This record gives sequence, structure tokens and C-alpha cells, in this order.
Amino acid sequence: MTESTLFTIAFVLYVLSLVVYSSALFARRERWAGGAFVLAVIGFLSHTAALILRTASSGHAPFTNMYESLSFLSWAIVLALIIFGRSSRVARLGPYLMLIVVGLVALASSPLMPKGATPLVPALQSYWLWLHVSVTLLGEAFFAVAFVASLLYVAADSEEKKARLDALAYRAVAVGFPLFTLGGLVFGMVWAYKAWGTYWSWDPKEVWSFITWLVFALYLHTRIVMGWKGKRSAIIAIAGFLAALFTYFGVNYLLAGLHSYA
Amino acid sequence: MRSAWKFFSSVKLAIVLIILLTVASTVGTLIPQGRSAAEYAARYGSLAGLFTALQLTRLYQSVWYLALLLFFAVNTIVCTLARLGPKWRRAFRPAPETDAKSVTSMRASARFRLPLTIAPARDRVAGALKARHYLLDQSAHDEKVVIQARKRRLGWFGSDIVHLGLLVILAGGITSGLAGRHAELALADGQTADVPHAAFQLRLDKFDTEYYPQGGVKDWKSTVTVVEGGSAVLTRIIEVNQPLTYRGISFYQQSYGWDWSRAQIVLEIRKPGDMTTFKTVTLKVGERAAVDAPDVTHVVVLRFVPDFVIGEGNQVQSRSDEPNNPAAQVEAWKGEERVFSGWIFAKFPDFGHGGEGDPMTGAKTAAKADAPRVAVVLKDYSAAPYSVLEAAKDPGVNLIWLGCLLVSGGFFLAFYWPPREIRVVLEASQGRVELAAGGQASKSREAFRTEFDGIFESIRRPE
Repeated sequence: MTESTLFTIAFVLYVLSLVVYSSALFARRERWAGGAFVLAVIGFLSHTAALILRTASSGHAPFTNMYESLSFLSWAIVLALIIFGRSSRVARLGPYLMLIVVGLVALASSPLMPKGATPLVPALQSYWLWLHVSVTLLGEAFFAVAFVASLLYVAADSEEKKARLDALAYRAVAVGFPLFTLGGLVFGMVWAYKAWGTYWSWDPKEVWSFITWLVFALYLHTRIVMGWKGKRSAIIAIAGFLAALFTYFGVNYLLAGLHSYA
Repeated sequence: MRSAWKFFSSVKLAIVLIILLTVASTVGTLIPQGRSAAEYAARYGSLAGLFTALQLTRLYQSVWYLALLLFFAVNTIVCTLARLGPKWRRAFRPAPETDAKSVTSMRASARFRLPLTIAPARDRVAGALKARHYLLDQSAHDEKVVIQARKRRLGWFGSDIVHLGLLVILAGGITSGLAGRHAELALADGQTADVPHAAFQLRLDKFDTEYYPQGGVKDWKSTVTVVEGGSAVLTRIIEVNQPLTYRGISFYQQSYGWDWSRAQIVLEIRKPGDMTTFKTVTLKVGERAAVDAPDVTHVVVLRFVPDFVIGEGNQVQSRSDEPNNPAAQVEAWKGEERVFSGWIFAKFPDFGHGGEGDPMTGAKTAAKADAPRVAVVLKDYSAAPYSVLEAAKDPGVNLIWLGCLLVSGGFFLAFYWPPREIRVVLEASQGRVELAAGGQASKSREAFRTEFDGIFESIRRPE
């Protein structure tokens, strides 16, 4: 099977997973959610195979253009769902995360995204490509979990649900923030130093990573030192994910800079 | 002094500073940084002056942004120190808890009797705790033994290590800003240049651009030789992502270009009617070449640009260094009479055959209005490539990496190395021992409770 076939299979399974999740939610059949989770896991396996095939055929890391990095980010979000989905006991996490995943995969599949594997420009020929991009996107995937949990928190009605969502958001940040710091900022600085001779250039993408980092630093300080929990915490986590999304997406299209790849 | 300490030890200040830094940093991405005054004037009109005065155009180097960072640093130092003392005592010199009641009021607790005397009971408890890698502090008062057990004590200091790391990174940034040196060396093949701030030279032996078979640049490679005291010391290939470091100075493949001012040009001198070629000549910019045809004695190349464009004031400019629209300004002479003058284009050979003027520039050529007697075609062009290497000496870099290491390690400790503490009070009564125990962990409490229950189960019912 080719990479694009496997990717399409993954896409179809993600959509099915989303449909079953939504039905479970609206029909109040909690058992169906288990089936939706299994569909997501099978889709994830197919997606993993697609990423491996792409790496094998292109000879480089599968995140060097927008199509590839969208595909990898959606893969990482499904991974975060697999890690947190069962233990969090939050029924709505699955459907809403899968909604984001389907949105990202649809965007990746849209005709706007060139899908061809182009040979790497000299600046990207480095093993730091693997470390920098994969770890950053993994961190952002966990921010997505915190984002969904925080949105659900704001909408939740019972105290019991709220406590669970608040704890889930924090746990997701506790994984995402160190990963984002390490991948986005530390590995990014090391690579920039190796490629350009300066570890920090105040390039818009760098500044937006720093802004994202500051927002999550705010999240932790208000929470741990000042005891903010609940709604205010949730709003900061939402803002943090939006900042991460802008760093990933918006900077490329709206602001010019060194980071013109993806 | 005390009020300054109080001011800086406030977490509220930290939060205000984080918000201010976020907002300021955002502004800096909305206004392009470090452009020319003319560009700002064109973009922002009357606001440009205000932006420049507020240093918004060099925001990240501005006095107020740096002051913000400095405030943040002092705030971090004071906040960290103010909280370090109590944490230190808790981790390394805990006050012994002797009261059985307060011990069992901790999150996890256990209370039972052991059919033992105090010494073997103490040994059993100590053995069980040590088996789970706890460090013990014991104290005995009369018939009472108090055991304090703790593990993963470093976890208490995770956030402090992150803060220290951030300060080290900031110190590294300041060092880079004050003592870092960056210079560009543009070298053609065979050329040698003095390396700034160093007692050696760098020679470019060869510059290569490699292409993929399907097009697109694969790599830029500069083969360079370090020359020290007149003799070659080492030869190395510098590529993008593969810098060379010699005596603390690193050389990066940064850019490349062609020396178009000394381009070599190939011209065809033709007869305008049937376009038969009189002669093909090769010459450099600024040179003249003999043609010796009936209507043309010689030609001159006045100028060459790789990417022809008409700029301000109808001036010819090159839009870029890439040969996107190569053009040459040439003249053809018959003795003392100029028979052709104008710009000719490699990609548009129909333009500029002399005569009425140039269709792209609109500039009048000096040739007469009657039919041109000669056509000049820009057949080929080439220029020597040069490599641009960045020479950088940055003494702040090691601090940056140290800071990054501290931040990463601190994060690990803060999130994934939660300290655990268990307190046990043993009291002898009527030939048996009353055991009261309590414990707490700052994170992963369920895992801790499992461990706690396991420990006390093994004390109550040893194998």
C-alpha cells in the first residue's frame, strides 16, 4: 500500500471515529465511545505506517512542509488522545479532539497543500529537524488536549466534571510545556546556532514561541503560587493553545521571517 | 531596602511582568523590525516618527524592553530566594514531628500495633522504608522513636533550577550582546581575507553549489583553508548546518552571490535585416572588443545587471543578485560614430536593437532615428561566484547551553520527580509498639498511596 492510501484510510477512520463519538455523545450511549476509540487507534496505526513510508521514500523527516507537519501534528494529537483519553474519564475529550484531528487532516488533504515530497533545502538538512519539529509538535498536541479540556471546563455544569477537566488540563500542560520548551525553544536555539551562527534572532516565529511559553508560564504561576484554578486557569490555557496555533500557523502566512518552511 | 525586597518578592509582580512581556513581544512581531527610515515612513506615515522615538522599530534591543527583562530577572531572583529557605529546611533539616495525632492527619496514614519491643520495631520500619529508597532521619526520646523518611528531595527544587536556568540564559544573552562579534566574509575562489578579531586568515579554495537532479539547490559548499602565520593550517568544507570552528571563531555558510560588476559577456553583432552574424565577441564589463565589420569597428559593454528593473528616478537597478532578467548596456561604434547604444536583454532579444530608444526604459538612445545599421544580442553572461561566510565569536553561547540544561533538568524535577515524605512515630506501651504513620506527595498521589499502603502492609505482616 502506498503512503497516500494509508493516509486516506487513516482519514476515513478518524472521520468514522468522530461520527461514532458524536453519536455516543448525543444518543447518550457511553459504550459506543469505546468503539470510537478503537477506530481512532486503528486510524492512528495506519497513519503511523503512512508517516514511516513517507520517511522511507523521501529520505527525510516527515515534517518539512505544511502538508507534512499538519499530518504529523494530527498524528501527535491522536497519540495524546490515546495517552490521556481513557485515564481522564472525560467523555467529551474524544469527540472534540477528533474534531480537531479531522479538521487538521482535512486541511492537509485539501488541494491548497502541495503534497509532493520535495528535496530538502540546505537549511533543513540536519538531524535537528527531527528533534526540533517532532518534539515541538508533540508539545503542541498536548496543548490541544489542555485546550479542549479548558473549553469543556468553561461549558461544564457540574462541579465533579469541572474538577476532572481542570485536573486533565493541568496534566496535559505538565506534559506539553516541558516538551514545547525543550523542542521549540532549546532545540530550536541549538539548531539556529548550528545553521546561522546565532541562537536567537527575534524572528517572528521565535518571538511567538516565546509568547506561547510566557502564556503557559503564566498558567503555572497563577495556578501553583496564587492558587488560581478553574475558570481563570482555563482561559489562560485556551489563550496558550491559540498562541501556539498562531506560532505554528499564523506566523507563516501573516508575518515574514526566517522560518519560511513550515 | 526592605520595601524593595518586598516589592520584588511578589508573584503578582511576576505576573504583571509576564503579561507586559507578552504584549510587548507581540507588538514587535506586528511592526517589522530593523528596517530603513524610508520604509517606515512609507508604511506608517506620520506614525513612523513616534514608532522610532518609542524604539518600536528596534523593540527587542530597546532600553525599555531590556529594562523589562532586567526587572523580570530581579523579580525571579528575589522570588526564588524568598521561597528557597523554607523549602531547604523542609528538604534537609525538617523539624521532627513527634505527635502521633498530627502525623496521622497527613494525606495518607496508618495506625496499628506491632507485637515487638521498640528496637526491632524501629529496625523493621527502617528496613521497609529503605527498601523503597527512602532516606531516613531518626530521633529517639525515651520510649518513643520518630522516623522522618523522604525521597526525591530534589523535586522540591525543580522550579528553582528552572529559574536559575532562565537567569543563566539571560546572562548568556547579555554576554552575547556585549561581547559577541559577527562579521561577513565575502570571498571569491582563491581569495584570502583577514578574520576580524583573530590572528589568522581564511582562504576560500572553492565554492560549489550542488543541485538535485530534479532541480533545486541541494547544498552550498565552501572549501576553506585556515592560514596562520603565512602557512596553511587546515582545510575543511563548510556547509549549511556544518560550520567550522577554529580558535573560538565559528564560520557559517551564510549566503552566496556572483561578482556581476566584472561579468564576462558574450555578444553577437548582427546585421539588422537578415540577422546574419558579423561576429561573436567575448568581453568583460568596461572593456571594448574589435568587430571589424563594414558597419561596426568595435563594441563596448558599459554595465551589466543580473535582474534588470527601473527604479526611482528612471534609474536602472538590479532587483536581486539572481540572474532573473540579465541586461547589458552596450555601445557599438563605427570609428568615431556611435551606431548603437542601449540596454539589451538576454531573455528578450527582440528589445533594444538600437534606434528609437529602449522599450523598457523609455530612455532615448543616442542613435539616429533612421533604421539601425547594426543589432547587438546578449548571447551569454557569466560571473565569478563568491561565498559569503559568517564569522562569529560568541562567548555567551556556553552560558546559553548551560541555562538550557538547567531549565530542562528543572522541568523534569518539577513535573516528574515529585518528592515524597513519610513520618512514623513509634511508641512503646505494655510490651508492644504503637505505630502511627503519615505521608504525602506533591504529585501522583495515587501512586504514592499505593506505595505507602504497600510499605505499611509489609511492616504489619512481614513475609
